Order: sequence, then structure tokens, then C-alpha cells
Amino acid sequence: MNDAPQSSKSRGSNRPAVDPVTLSVLWGRLLSVAEEMGSTLRRTAFSEAVREGDDFSTGLFDRHGRLVAQGNFTPGHTGAMPYVVMTVLDFFPPETLRPGDSIFVNDSRIGSGHFPDCFMVTPAFDDGRLIGFACNTAHHVDVGGPHPGSQEVRGVSEAVQEGLRIRPIKLIREGEFEPDLLRLILGNVRFPDKVRGDLQAQRNANHVGGRRLVGLHREYGTDLIEGVIEEILEHSEKRMRDRIRELPDGTYTFEDFMDDHGPGSDPIRFHVEVTIKGDGLLIDFSGSSDQVPAGINCYINYTRAYSTFAAKIMSEALVPQNHGSAKPLQAIAREGSYFNAVYPAPSGGRSANPQRIFEVVVGALAPIVPEKAIAAFSHFSNPNVGGMDDRTGENFLYYDMIFGGLGAQSRRDGIEGLSPVMNCTNIPVEILEARNPIRIRHLGFIADSAGAGKFRGGCGVRKDVELLNSSASLCNLGDRHVHQPFGLFGGKPGRLAETILNSDDGAIALGSKETRMLKKGDVVSWRLSGAGGYGDPGERDPAEIEEDLADGFITEEGAKRDYGYNASKRAD
Amino acid sequence: MIRVAFDIGGTFTDLVQQDTRTGRMVAHKIPSTPAELSRAVMDGLSTLLRRCDTEAPDVDSVFHATTIATNAILENKGSRTGVLTTKGFRDVLLLGRQKRYDTYDMYMGKPEPLTRRRYIAEVNERIAFDGAVVEPLALESVDEAAQGLLAAGVESIAVCLLHAYANSAHEEAVAARVLERAPGVNVSLSSKVSARIREYERVSTTVANAYVKPIVERYLTDLENSLRAADIEPDLLVMQSNGGLVSTDLAKEYPVRIVESGPAAGVLMCGVVGREEGFDHVLTLDMGGTTAKMGAIDDGEPAITSEFEVGAIHYRKFSGLPLNIAAVELLEIGAGGGSIARADGGLIEVGPQSAGADPGPMCYGAGGTRPTVTDANLVMGYLNADYFNGGAMRIDAAAAVTGIETAVAKPLGLSVGEAAWGIHAVANGNMERAMRVISVERGRDPRNYALVAFGGAGPLHAARLARSLNIPTVVVPQGAGVGSAIGLLNADSRIDVSVSRIFALDGESDRRIADIYRELEARAAEDVARLRSDRPLVWTRYAYLRYLGQGFEIKVDLPDGPIAEGYADRVASAFHEAYERNFDYRDEEAGIEAVDWCLAAVIPASVDGDPTVLGDDGEMSAASDDGERQAYFEEAGGFVPCRVVNRFRLAPGDEVAGPAIIEERDSTTVVLPGDNARISPRGHLIITVSLES
Repeated sequence: MNDAPQSSKSRGSNRPAVDPVTLSVLWGRLLSVAEEMGSTLRRTAFSEAVREGDDFSTGLFDRHGRLVAQGNFTPGHTGAMPYVVMTVLDFFPPETLRPGDSIFVNDSRIGSGHFPDCFMVTPAFDDGRLIGFACNTAHHVDVGGPHPGSQEVRGVSEAVQEGLRIRPIKLIREGEFEPDLLRLILGNVRFPDKVRGDLQAQRNANHVGGRRLVGLHREYGTDLIEGVIEEILEHSEKRMRDRIRELPDGTYTFEDFMDDHGPGSDPIRFHVEVTIKGDGLLIDFSGSSDQVPAGINCYINYTRAYSTFAAKIMSEALVPQNHGSAKPLQAIAREGSYFNAVYPAPSGGRSANPQRIFEVVVGALAPIVPEKAIAAFSHFSNPNVGGMDDRTGENFLYYDMIFGGLGAQSRRDGIEGLSPVMNCTNIPVEILEARNPIRIRHLGFIADSAGAGKFRGGCGVRKDVELLNSSASLCNLGDRHVHQPFGLFGGKPGRLAETILNSDDGAIALGSKETRMLKKGDVVSWRLSGAGGYGDPGERDPAEIEEDLADGFITEEGAKRDYGYNASKRAD
Repeated sequence: MIRVAFDIGGTFTDLVQQDTRTGRMVAHKIPSTPAELSRAVMDGLSTLLRRCDTEAPDVDSVFHATTIATNAILENKGSRTGVLTTKGFRDVLLLGRQKRYDTYDMYMGKPEPLTRRRYIAEVNERIAFDGAVVEPLALESVDEAAQGLLAAGVESIAVCLLHAYANSAHEEAVAARVLERAPGVNVSLSSKVSARIREYERVSTTVANAYVKPIVERYLTDLENSLRAADIEPDLLVMQSNGGLVSTDLAKEYPVRIVESGPAAGVLMCGVVGREEGFDHVLTLDMGGTTAKMGAIDDGEPAITSEFEVGAIHYRKFSGLPLNIAAVELLEIGAGGGSIARADGGLIEVGPQSAGADPGPMCYGAGGTRPTVTDANLVMGYLNADYFNGGAMRIDAAAAVTGIETAVAKPLGLSVGEAAWGIHAVANGNMERAMRVISVERGRDPRNYALVAFGGAGPLHAARLARSLNIPTVVVPQGAGVGSAIGLLNADSRIDVSVSRIFALDGESDRRIADIYRELEARAAEDVARLRSDRPLVWTRYAYLRYLGQGFEIKVDLPDGPIAEGYADRVASAFHEAYERNFDYRDEEAGIEAVDWCLAAVIPASVDGDPTVLGDDGEMSAASDDGERQAYFEEAGGFVPCRVVNRFRLAPGDEVAGPAIIEERDSTTVVLPGDNARISPRGHLIITVSLES
């Protein structure tokens, strides 16, 4: 997998070429298999994260375990998936697999970096002959550990504290769940019904994927399908390498900081060196901080997933995501560093990292690809509030994903209120209130929070939530409370984020990764940072400033401060 | 009875007249007049009536499908719309669901909302998820907010308060107050337009309604006046997205319900044709200049969905503006005659960019510089350069050849014929993927379905699409080019109402369900009264249910009859069956949760599908000559001599073996080698598709 940055000849180059027409049509078919797996998973899932938040992914692999096609899902999963399938095959060589078997794994090192992400890998057989694999990942609602949701950061010093760790096991044997294993898993999680439901949904998805793959092989013949796959992988790799070759050779560095890994701790250094040499691109995070004794570390698969995603966006985003296009992009980090954490480094809250990995890689490449550069985003917030629901006597978990704006780009303002790289949906206010003892008091943009620039960043977003239950535990997961989202090419940074707890005792500021007990009537206010601007604010079109004033994205005071614009003197 | 129907599309206005006594139908197609839509209608009507020797006062019924609401939304031509919402939630509409519809595109914007932040104001009030009032409505906050909006020139106001699906009292009080202070302003309430949970989707729907309300109101009033001035007195009935007709009264009140008016009528036509030919299960294909739309008829009824996005790109969720309306289930993709083809990374790609009607395909010679699907179909010999659009249009075949050669053949090392075939095949592949989603992925086995294809390009691509999905029969209806207008003639009147009430089914549910349907029937009855029909009414119940704890609901048709003890159990069995049909398994142990409850009030069409034959008064057969030309059939190894037949010279019972091309004025049908086409007694073209195995 760790192919050096140089061009390589892929296997089977002597086979006859597949004609472009067949290639085009069958490639579409293969993609549609991964998509259909996704729609099956979504529609039969039980947890909010999967069914409302789209926090899952699907992929189709050839019999060698190489990624062929993926659905349009979250890159942290899709980027880790190739490594997962390879590792699973080390544990379960093809000859140990039978039709209907599925391998389950949620280990942080093998999987996508924290225990809630559960992978299922299912071989597809046509008449007893292995023809490929279907794989999917779903973010499960809970896998045990000290805090509901299994994503606590502070006070977690070892991965064994984070809940159930499962290295590859054969969870499904010839189509049926192993009852003992299932009992073991469900006996160690907080919401066994949802976990069981999501596991079934995962099985359904891979079942559909395998069935479709068999159908394709029968219709077109294995030789042709495999020829198409080779051709696609080669095309994708070539196109990626061609594009990288157009970029100037050199080493490009960038650095930013995560605020801390819990109240009172030091900042975490995000240091990246991107080296372009010929047609290969190497991303090295070795100069970053050491792994930390808190549930936030990045395992290497996760680092790879988001750093190569960023490099792909900055070079040639439209190349299909597969083994071929991934080959020229390599991501490494010093063992024991924050970005290549070693077991038992804890990592439950690692979802604070992806957009920040993306941002520094983009920051490094910005000078050579300014037209594709994007300034830093609003950092999102991913709080978990859990406890015993007074009304039912059962556990509840209010899991939220609060998204602000994107950073400004070379030709436009940062897009307002859009999911950053991981690409999930928000969860509707009315759904959250119907399911949890909470009332949401406010949800909206924060005026004057965006980083100024010729193009401004997206605004920060504020969400206020009141606890209606007698008590609950908040596990906060955000950032940018100390280090502002950066701007590019003269664009200004966005305003800092805050988490404010309003209770009888007045208002206090909480840490971005703090864990805290809440009582009835407490209102937690998450105020995300604004995103960074692009270009000199002095070059901003006054008409745009007027529009922002009219829409309340900036105030007259803000216009004056950020742009020296005097709103009272406008002509009309 | 003389019945007249017209469908105004972006490019053409289609009109048909049907005489139910003679079973004769005459069609007429003229260019639309976008600046003043009713002009084409009135001109077309007078020509059509003249062609049929009908006097205007003899017309008994008038039916209409229109794109006016859709176009107002897609082209941002609606009214300045204000929103009044719960304090603290001004930005729900602008936030949306926050997902990029393409993960690998970090540069895309979000679908543009129909109003701007400056026109969204808050009122002080709060209702909880169970309908309890947490904070009473402060009327002075309504006065202040509404005043601000009106001062800003807002013409229409959407009122969308949190949890209004559970308790509409505050919304109604807001509306009353606004109308008291500003009589004459247009007000749309989310609890009336879309009483369903999920605030973004509800506000999006309500805003869309408010946005198009003034324009639809003016348009329909105009049209009614013009009809009356031309001595056509019967009430105009308008097609809604749910495939049912309503009075103009209701269409003006809930214009968001008519956004899919024309496409819905097209699906209805397919249902009627299917019924006439003995097919209860029908997949539909409507392929025109810019897009292809695919739908389904199950057990003779058009499939209805509650999830619809206007302006969606490639049916990707979150790419369009969500509308919570009952709509005929349709997937739309950017694959039409005008879809642009290119070579990209060793692959042929087609669409979603389209050359549209202007400049159009390169062969139109109107300035198009990139080859399209129509160019490919011309190069393959499927289209007749001398008889394009009934001979009304001169075609530049050489331009198509050059375009395909430059953009696709040379970069990929193909001959022009192969490249054209590739474009055709990739366009088919794109449609196949969408058709697979609407069939296999949604529990429909294509082997049990017939494919009814219409629109200018549908019949040309249908047979190969059928082969790739194992659909055994293709039907190309008579009048395929005016399908939606024909569909209107056979439509029922229909009102759909729904409400979110979320609870698990248990012993207490019977009474609860009965209460819900009492409420829905009362709501529907108001609307039904405005249909001004004295014919009998049929009530149909359906609901969206899921296993307890799931987040995705499926539509379940509920049993008829009184809602008494044991009804909830019957609902549960209906759910289990529907779930198994969709997902291949059922879980009898799991609890079942209800989310949305719906009721349809249907007044069946007064004429029940009497056989109608499209008459030919000379317009139709003034057509191409029968003959032979070279056409590309990959199935036969490339260009082969191919029989060309004028459809209007074929009589019922006539058969045509493939390879063959059957031409008619607005459409061309391709019959593949090994397939067989025949004209049915009803005048439809039936292709028996030869399937492997």
C-alpha cells in the first residue's frame, strides 16, 4: 500500500484493452453497486448517526482486496477502508472464507481510528469462486466506555477505557450472526437495540453489494469485469500522476494548533510537510506533537484518509476514488506522534481532527494551487449529552453535530452552514427534541464572526440547548476556543469559538473538550468560530458589504472594524 | 362529451381534444409563449377546435398541466417572500441539512433558498414536540415582525413555527393577526401546507408555496378569464404533483402541490396505456431535450412519494430544495437529447450539462459547439435528417459527425460510429442506473413490469434500457409526443392531506388512529368542498411507518373500512408486508412506530378509460416515406441496412421485426434485432423484447 512516489506499472498490463464504451458503461455499473449498498444501509439503520447523519460509508473491492468503487460518503471511512480490507485478509485469508461470512472489526489501528466506527467486510462468491469484497462502515451509537457515545476526550488515558475493542472476528457465518459473539457485543454497549439494528443494516448492505457484484460477473464474465477494473485503476492512477507532475516539485510546510486535549493541557501541534517529487506526493506529519494521554489521537489510517483527501481535492478531485488514484498519494507520520498513535493511545474523540488535517494540507499547498485553496473552516462541534431519562428510566444520548461555515475560496465567500470535510447532515431540531429531554433555544449564524477578506469566511453558528432532565453528563468536543481559524492571502482569521454554560450560578466558559455534569435548567451555548477569509479585506466589493449588512451577517460596527466601511455614509 | 386538455411545457404546448362518444382524439402541438403563457393555449385551442369542428360552448371539461410553478422556482421568478418563524430559529432555512451532495466537491454551493435572510423575522412563542405551549404567542412581536417585512416590500408571507405539525394554534393566530393588519397579503402556513416533522423540509415547502402563490394566482385567473372570453365555460381543473386534479381555487391556495403537474400527467398516461394493454405494473420513461424522468405504476396506481426535491441534480438527496408534498414518484436525471458528451480520462461521459433547445445539438446548426445525444442518434442513423420534427426543421448531419469525431472519437481512438454508439450507450447506462434505483432498489422486479416510453427521445432508447433491466415489454403509446396532455384526460380529482403524529403502535392505538383520521377527514373535507364536484368520493389511507428506533420510514397503504378495535394490528401487518417487499426481511419481534399519517380523497375520473384512438386528419401521416437506411446496431456488429416505417401507415395487428425504425411526427422508435413490434388494437406500439436466459 505504501507505494513510493514514482510511477509504477500495475499488474496485468499485457491483457487486451477494454474498449472505452464497455469501460464507461461498466464503470457506471460498479459505482452504482456501492451506491445501492449505501441506500440499503441508510434505510434499514437504527441509530441517528447513521440514518439522519449519514455517518457511514460503503465500498466495493476486487478479489485482491483493492478498492474499486466507493459510494459518495464520509472520507474518514472511505479513506481508511482499503487498509481495513487488506488487514482483514491477513487475519482471514480467502481460503478461510465461505459465502455469507462477514468479518467485523472496530479496532482503532486497523479501522478508522476509534471504536464506534464498525467495519464489516463480506466476500462475494460466484459458484464458490471468490470475486471480490463488499465493505461498509457505520458509526455506532455506543460501544461502551465511560461516557455515552464512546467519544470522551478528557480523562481517558488508555484505549481500554474507551469500550469494546474488537480485532477482526467472523461475526457472521454463512449469513447468520454468531449468537455468542453478538451476545458478547450487545452485552457491552449502552443501546443494544440500536447496535443490533445497525449491525443488521450493515449485513443487508453487504448482502446487496455481493449479490449485485455476482450479477455483474455473470452477465459480463469475470475476465471482462476484471479487465475493466484494471483499466479503471490504471486510468485513475495515471490521471492522478499526470496532475501531480504539473505541480512544481518541492517541499511545502504548514502549521496550526489544536487548542488542547482537555482543560489545562497544552496545544497540539499540527505540522505538515508536503513533498512533491515528479508524479508522487508525500504528506508527512512527523513534525507534529507526540500522542497525548486523551481520547483524541489520530491513528495512521485516519491521518491517511483525510490528508490524502485534501491532496486529492487540491490536485484532481474528479478522479474516481480507488486503489489507483490513491497510489500516488502517500501519508506518513512518525510512530508515536499524534498522527500515528500507537496502541493503547485513546482516540474516541478523534473526529475533532479531520477538518484540521484537511486545512493544514490545503494551507501547505495553497501557494502553488491558490485557485483551489480554501481558508480554515468554522470548527464543528460534536457534543454528547447522556444520562437516564427521568420520564422513561432508560438511557438517553443527545448526540449532535453542529456545523458552521466553510472558509473563503479564491472566487467566492465561504459557504454558510455547510458540513466540513466529513460531510454529514445535521439532525433536525424537531427530531432531537422529540427524542431527548432537551429544548433547543437558539440555532443561527453569529454576526461579525466571519474572517474578513476580499472574500469572507462563512459565519460561526450558535446553538443553545436547555437540559429538561434532572441531570446529565456533557462531553464536549470542539476546538478553536484558543487558536483562530486562519485566513489565506491576506484574509483575516475567523472569530474564536466559545462554549458557555448558563446556570443558576451565572454564565461560565467551558473548555472545548471538557466533561461536565449538567442539571435541569442549564443551558449550554455552543458558539462556533467563524471561518477564515481569503484575500485583502480592502479589496472587498462594497456592494457585497452592503448585502451582508442587509442580511445581518455583519453589523455596521463590524463593517467599520473589519472593512473600514462606513455604513451610514452609503449613497442610498 | 367533448373534453379538452392542454399541457404547457417549457418548449411546447400540447393540446388534445377527446370526443367520448366517438372515442376519437385529436392532438395539436405548438411552441409555448413564455412571455404570456395563455396566448399559446388560446391560439392552440382555437386551431384544435377548428380541426375538430367543435364549437367552443360544446366543450364539457377542460384540464390543464403547467410548469408555471416549477419554472418560477427554478428561474427565481417568484414573489418576494417573507418568513415568520419562532424566535431563535431565523436561520433554519439558510442552514438546510448542511450536507454537500457530492463529498468530493468542496467548492459547491448549496441549493439557493427562495428568500433571503433579510426577509426572515422572528416572533416570540414556543411549542414543544408534543404540542404543549411552552411560551404563549406575543402578538406585539407579530405586529413588529410583519410590519418590517411589509415595509421591505414582501408580497407573500410564509409562517413556519417550530413543532407546528403538533399544534397549529400559534400559526393560525399569526396568520389572523397579519391579515387583520394587512388584508390582502398572501399568507401560507406550514401547518396547512405541510404538517410534518423536520423543520427545514417544512419551512422549505412553505416558503416555496408562498413564493409561487401570487404568480400562480395571477396566471390561473388570467387563463380562466381568457377561456370564458372564448366561450369555454366549464371549470378549469389543474393537475397536481400527486397525479390528481383540483379546482383552480385550491391550486391557487396550495400552488406548491402543482410543481410536478406535467410530469405527473405523463405518468398517469402511462398508467392508462398500461391498463388498456393489460399491464398493471408499469415503469415509465419520459425522455425529452434536457432530462429523462422515470416513474412507476404499481397495481395500476402511480407510485406516490412524500419526498421530493425541486431542482435536484441527478436525484441526489440535498441537491435540490425539498418539498413535502405528495408527488408522483419520479427520478429525473440529466440525460436528454441535448445532453452533452465528452471524453474524460479514457471514458465517455454524457450530461448532466445540456445544450437544451438553444443552441441545441450541433446538428441543429444553431450555434451548438459540443456533441449531444441527439447528434449521436443522428449519426447512428436513428433520426431522419429529412424528417426532423415532422420535416419542420433542417438538420446539419455533417456538423454532428465533426463534433463527435473531435470531442469523443479521436481522443479515444474510436471510429465516429463507435463513438456515437458509445455516447448512446453511456446515456442508456445513466438511465439504467436511475431505472434500477426506482425498480430493484425499491422492491420492484423489472421482469414483472412493462416499460411505457414517451417524450421525444424515450421510444428511441427504451428497448435497450428494457434489455439491460430484463423488462420483457416496451409500450410506445399513440401520441407519445403529447403524452402528458393525454394523461390529463384520464385523471381523477384528488386531495392528499397528512400530519405527523409519532407513536409506537400498541393497544391504545386504535382510538388514536381513529382520532387522527377524523381530523384528516375534516381537513380534507374543506378542500373537497372546493373541488365543486357532486360525484362520489373514495377515501384512501396511507401512512409512513418504521420499526421502533429506525429513522427511515416507508409508505404503507392502510386498510379501508371503519377504524375500530384491531385496526392497529391490521396496520402492523400491512407494515410488515410492505417492509419485506422493500428489504427482503421482516422483524415480527420489533415494535412499529408511526410518523406521518396521510389521507387521500379521490373522485374517480368521470370517463373510465374508454378506448380512444388518436385520429389522423392528415397532419399525422404527412410524414416520412417508408424505406430503408443504414443504422448502427451494436447487436448486429455495426451499421446494417434497417427498415424504416411511418407509424401512421401501420394498422392494428401489423408487425415489424427488428432491426427497424418506426417514425412519427414527434418521436422515433428503435426496434432492436431480435425484437418484434406490433400495433395493438388500441393503436399502441408493443415491442416484445428478447431477453437472454
